[in-house]
Amino acid sequence: MKRFGMGSFRVMAAVALLAAAVALVGCGGSGSDEGEGALRVGMVTDAGTIDDRSFNQGTWEGIVRATDEFNLTRRYLMPSGTTEADYIREITNLRDAGFPLIITPGFKFETAVYQMQARYPEVNFVLIDGVPNNGVFGDGRSEKVAPNTVSIFFAEHEAGFLAAVASAVEIGEGAFGFIGGMEIPPVQRFNWGFQQGIAYANEHLGTSISLNPRDVLYQGSFDNVAAGQQIAAQMFDRGIDAIFCAAGGVGVGAINEAKARAADGAWIIGVDSDQYEQGVYADGKSVILTSAMKGVDVAAYDMIAAQLEGTFPGGETLMFDAASNGVGIPEVNPNLSERTEEKVAQVLARIQSGEIVVSAQQGDLIR
Amino acid sequence: MFDILVNLFPYAMAFTMPILVTALGGLCSERSGIVNIGLEGLMVVGSFSAAVFISRFYPILGGNALWFGLLVAMAAGAVFSLLHAFACINLRANHVISGIAINMIAAAMTVFFARTMTGSGNILLRNGLARFSVPVLAEIPLAGPLLFRQSYGTTWLILVVLVLVWFVLYYTRFGMRLWAAGEHPHALDAAGVSVYRIQYSGVLLSGMFAGLGGATILVTYSGEFNGSVSGMGFLALAALIFGKWKPLGVLGSTLFFGFAMTIANASQAEPALQAIPEIILKVFPYVVTLLALILFSRTTQAPRALGEPFDKGKR
Repeated sequence: MKRFGMGSFRVMAAVALLAAAVALVGCGGSGSDEGEGALRVGMVTDAGTIDDRSFNQGTWEGIVRATDEFNLTRRYLMPSGTTEADYIREITNLRDAGFPLIITPGFKFETAVYQMQARYPEVNFVLIDGVPNNGVFGDGRSEKVAPNTVSIFFAEHEAGFLAAVASAVEIGEGAFGFIGGMEIPPVQRFNWGFQQGIAYANEHLGTSISLNPRDVLYQGSFDNVAAGQQIAAQMFDRGIDAIFCAAGGVGVGAINEAKARAADGAWIIGVDSDQYEQGVYADGKSVILTSAMKGVDVAAYDMIAAQLEGTFPGGETLMFDAASNGVGIPEVNPNLSERTEEKVAQVLARIQSGEIVVSAQQGDLIR
Repeated sequence: MFDILVNLFPYAMAFTMPILVTALGGLCSERSGIVNIGLEGLMVVGSFSAAVFISRFYPILGGNALWFGLLVAMAAGAVFSLLHAFACINLRANHVISGIAINMIAAAMTVFFARTMTGSGNILLRNGLARFSVPVLAEIPLAGPLLFRQSYGTTWLILVVLVLVWFVLYYTRFGMRLWAAGEHPHALDAAGVSVYRIQYSGVLLSGMFAGLGGATILVTYSGEFNGSVSGMGFLALAALIFGKWKPLGVLGSTLFFGFAMTIANASQAEPALQAIPEIILKVFPYVVTLLALILFSRTTQAPRALGEPFDKGKR
């Protein structure tokens, strides 16, 4: 017995220290503004940080707006990785800390929410841009939006349509192009809506914008900055006035190229969030004409408001579209004239009333 | 077809130059006998330090901040390469392992600092270098539109570096010693020259040039530091071997890579090139490299003492 005495204590102490270190590292990060509020709103971040100029940032902005307005408590947790296990751990942490509403942005959360919605029926989940499923494709696939979960999608085609109308009216006469990232449904819907918007403006608003099939393409990735710059350069060389980029990092290259040609009137139409700041090249001047926005923040805000009113639409799959102001162009567009803004407002009203229907299908459009 | 070439030439040149200068850095290191597969990491360090410097000092220095940023990148690359030099030369560590460590440390460290600074891990530059056409020369038929139109200042800087490296390597005492350190360090030692000092200079030069390469990517075509240089450092390493460890060979191989990849990228936007399937254009440079390495492997001209730690006492 004695032989093991001191030694085993040391080993145990070492193991305990190690475990504590691992637990600390595993926490990743978190941020909160604790106040005395009735409802506690939690969020788990997707890959990237809270200010990623994309889903995380948009969602958190919506949460901040709602919690400030209604005087609630908010907190986000940042998983140390992007696997299902990482997400589940942070969701469990939030639930254990007494958060009855948990918002998860991005399709990567689909499988984690699928499991958690069943395990914690007392917690309400909001899944943005995805539907809870078991991660299996084919026969074994199971998709389920439980009564305590809301699954949210966006009408990207309507955002693309509005951005196209705004750009067409502002430019009046010229040629546009489109650079997509991967050829996946949300990106395709942006493209198809964009094409319909140009056609509508040409037909009804007296513009003369051309869109050549060779100028509509999908680069095939979201991170090839060099290709974005090279493709945009070619398009601008051919006399294209504005390029709609729904392509992540590829769009970064295109924006960079447009900045170099800003004096010759090269424009980029941004995507997802208001990219105006990213396109600034001189005092107050930006190459971002306008942006086709997905109102991730609106979705987060609305769900918190619904939870407060006791009308949380559990079990539903919601489509955020122009009618609910879930997609559109930014409120402030320094590069658009007042006349353009008025026209866009009219078109928006017509989409909201159902007078204009933007198709989410390819039909006979280019690509 | 010629029109397409003329149109693509400036973009291909811009894409080639960072690879060229990094490969020249690799050349200096490997000619002195030190394998440097840490080029990718050194480029990342250069890109990061230039991004930090430029984003901080642009409001004060204006456009000059970009050129100072390149200097800062060279200094940072040189300092970082000291780690590699110390491990390989003083500690006689395995060059490949030390290089891998450089790549890993650089990637992790820069992203960590960038996140602490900006939160997102990306550092955006407000303005990059402006392109310009060289007056008079751009009017020369044929060569004018190809070489002197829409060029970046860094392109000319890097071409000057190329000429300097070529001259130093073949026509100066230091160049000969660098050459000897990689071929037969003991002979150099017997001649009374410090092999360690020569090898340190080689590695430091590689750090400076790779840092410059990474910063060039930043100020020309990318405009944003995002934690990687998308494998350009490894491409430079391949170009170094493909170019047989010679300055002009390296120029040829990097131009080949640069053009092949630009054509692959741009083919999507160029209907005339769409007759060729994209996949073929994209794998073309790599397949040719593989074939070239197989064909030339018997006559390979790597420095003879490359990768062998120099031990003064062992003759």
